[in-house]
Amino acid sequence: MGCVVTANEDKANEMSKLEQAIIALQNMQTAVRAETDRTLSPVCGLMVTVVYLIAMLSVRVDNIGMLLWFAIYPIVAAPLFGMSFGSVFVKSLYTLPFIAFIGIFNPLFDTEPALTVGAITVTRGWISFASILLRGLMSVQAIIILVLAFGFEGVCRGMRKLHVPAFLVTQLLMVYRYMSVLLIELLNMRRARESRSYGNSRMGLKMWGQMTGQLFLRTVNRSERINRAMLARGFTGAMPFYRLEATGWRMADTMFAVVWISVFLVLRLVNVSAALGFDRLF
Amino acid sequence: MHMSDAMLSPEVAIAADIAAGALLVIAGSKLKKSNRDNLVPLMGVTGAFIFAAQMVNFAIPGTGSSGHIVGGVLLAALLGPWAGFLTLASVIIIQCLIFADGGLMAIGCNLLNMGAMTALVAYPLIFKPLLDFDSQRHPSSLRIFAVSILACVLGLELGAVMVSLETLASGVTAIPAGKFFLLMTSIHLAIGVGEGLATGAVIVFINKVRPDLLVPDNQARRKGGIRGVVISFAVAAVIVAGGLSFLASSDPDGLEWSIEKVTGSSELPEVAGALADGSSAIQSATSIMPDYENTFSGIVGAAMVLILVWAVSSLLMKTKQTK
Repeated sequence: MGCVVTANEDKANEMSKLEQAIIALQNMQTAVRAETDRTLSPVCGLMVTVVYLIAMLSVRVDNIGMLLWFAIYPIVAAPLFGMSFGSVFVKSLYTLPFIAFIGIFNPLFDTEPALTVGAITVTRGWISFASILLRGLMSVQAIIILVLAFGFEGVCRGMRKLHVPAFLVTQLLMVYRYMSVLLIELLNMRRARESRSYGNSRMGLKMWGQMTGQLFLRTVNRSERINRAMLARGFTGAMPFYRLEATGWRMADTMFAVVWISVFLVLRLVNVSAALGFDRLF
Repeated sequence: MHMSDAMLSPEVAIAADIAAGALLVIAGSKLKKSNRDNLVPLMGVTGAFIFAAQMVNFAIPGTGSSGHIVGGVLLAALLGPWAGFLTLASVIIIQCLIFADGGLMAIGCNLLNMGAMTALVAYPLIFKPLLDFDSQRHPSSLRIFAVSILACVLGLELGAVMVSLETLASGVTAIPAGKFFLLMTSIHLAIGVGEGLATGAVIVFINKVRPDLLVPDNQARRKGGIRGVVISFAVAAVIVAGGLSFLASSDPDGLEWSIEKVTGSSELPEVAGALADGSSAIQSATSIMPDYENTFSGIVGAAMVLILVWAVSSLLMKTKQTK
């Protein structure tokens, strides 16, 4: 699993996946607190991201010249939200292996020549492979920018504003809230087991089943406590989305949405490279 | 098994998003009618539980490798199919947003492939009819393992078929349809067995200590003749999937060879070609916007502009920070 936020990377290499996930989650929460841009509404962020993804993914897979232009959104939007594009790019690289695994078959099956660069002929398969990698990286970068700019809770508020059902948004917020709690609980259980097993950290299926089952029993107990606490505070079945008003639509949102959506339309409908005369560079 | 945005066309992604959204709405209305009062916190914490459980790998018996659980059938067994589906959906959405696993547009596909096929198809068809936790006589561990493996293999194989169909309909991959289908189903046969073993191990433990947790809803069970049909369906599915994977692994052209043996002509490549042609025809018919051909110098020009924009924007950011 590729973690979006991995500061302390040198340390994380020595750690287990579980510890890395805890650190990634905590880093993300602090990063969001530091970087969240309160001047824009998450509804606007969600809308622009979705239009970006639809426009970018609709580019035919062998048309890398058009696709490349879409990198302008992560490159410009990242600094607009106070992050460096370099760090967003590095974070997006974690997803590369899976995309590359499916994409690498294209050069093997599609050997039709597409471009000639001097004496080298590039096949259509290699072009579509590069294009799949680009699509994967750019779509992940758009999501990283969205979540870091508005925070997970902000994105959930935006979803609620866009009429995503309350039960789903409540569920997302609940899972997000208890994720680090249960990760730490499991880490404690695993450390206890490791300290009793003389350095044998590999876990058999039976032991794994017992430990996961035990974690589930603790989960159920915890949920009963949480339920009583929530009922005592007047819970009626859905989270109250108090701060929805704070995320209202402003003039800045209209500007941001109109400018970016027009840019995406131009990139998608106009052959920008040809319009700028780049086709006649060589 | 997470599908990425990179593999999908917007038409396929949006269609899957609508289908998955409809299933989520049905799940929501089913849960409103549920008589369990603590369902909201239970589902919330259980989602976090599955997330944590995925972080610890277990050794797969007889191999040197290890794997982690997906959790669809397990969640359905612990919470019921609709609550299980909704919980897995929330985990998939969080994995997409926070850990960049899968993509935003691909959420619908991932919900259908991983959530619906396991919790809404494999659980009610295989797991629930074959394991009776309601009666006084508790099922044996062996039976729990066998049914878990059967249900997980079916769920994950159906998911693999869905992944193949969605990818091929998107027209992003150049792998011929038949080969891609065999690749996906054979990989997921192995994953399904691992998932079944893991699911079985957890359920055996819970069955020993808290069997009451394995009766997720108090609705009346369906009795009668469905069991025989379901068992034969499941066995057939597993045999077909296993056979296909065996052909795929022993000889890449095994399926074509066997079809040629049986019918005297190799039909599958034509069928596969027809499927690919059909999907590209659908694509060009539904495609919102036209494409242009690209040239090498056009690509280089675009890359130069982007590097320039990056340099300017990071300079601007630096000056903003130093102020």
